[in-house]
Amino acid sequence: MEINIREYKGGKVIEVLGEIDLYSSPLLRNQLMFFVKKKESLLIVDFGGVSYIDSSGIATFVEGLKGVMSFGGKMKMFGLRPAIMEIFSFSKLDKVFDIYGTIEDACNS
Amino acid sequence: MTLHCLRLNGLADTGKIRVTIKVLSHPRYLALVRTVTVTVAEISGMPKSVREHVKLAVDEACANVIRHAYRGDSGKNIGIRYEVSEKGFEVVIDDEGLKAAPEKIKGRDLSKVKPGGLGTHFIRRAFDIVKFDARKKKGNRLHLVRQRKDGKWK
Repeated sequence: MEINIREYKGGKVIEVLGEIDLYSSPLLRNQLMFFVKKKESLLIVDFGGVSYIDSSGIATFVEGLKGVMSFGGKMKMFGLRPAIMEIFSFSKLDKVFDIYGTIEDACNS
Repeated sequence: MTLHCLRLNGLADTGKIRVTIKVLSHPRYLALVRTVTVTVAEISGMPKSVREHVKLAVDEACANVIRHAYRGDSGKNIGIRYEVSEKGFEVVIDDEGLKAAPEKIKGRDLSKVKPGGLGTHFIRRAFDIVKFDARKKKGNRLHLVRQRKDGKWK
């Protein structure tokens, strides 16, 4: 898994590439918690390059979401592939996370 | 290389496929487990949507072994045996770690948003039978079976 960070319209875009599992999720957690500690008000997760996610990855995002919500920040996601979206839907988390098709949709909402 | 053994016996005459792997209990080998799982499922003729569920479920079961049975010790063994027959797709996962308490294993209420507790749901979604072998004295042996009826995956 690889993580790239960029700025977009005042938010931090976290581009995740590859598979998120028990091995890689601690790295993702470190990155998310780094931004939570800095109280970044808008985190936008680019899922376009994520080919797999397991329960540890989902748990990492739940923890990240709770972290940003604790200071009134937002976490948005976009570009989820159907197989990844299906996992969020099955977990009933598609209603919990703000999920969009594109980064423009995420930023304009 | 931590793949100790890979044996593939494609028994074309009987329609049976058997594959056995043994990996160390380090999370980095979960990717290898997923690759083997999905490959065996593909050979069995399982449709892609079902393969993805099975891949996730076996990954979750092995992650549970690492986290709970071995408490994060990455130097232990996990044995995984796949058997495909007319009856279905069976996966047997062996460890020598702390005994699981099956009666205490349950997924979290999906209406509650909190980290953790999803793996059990993923495993039960993919497999019709999820059962620990009570006869195993040291460690755990988890049987996972996805059944098929009249040769078709349900």
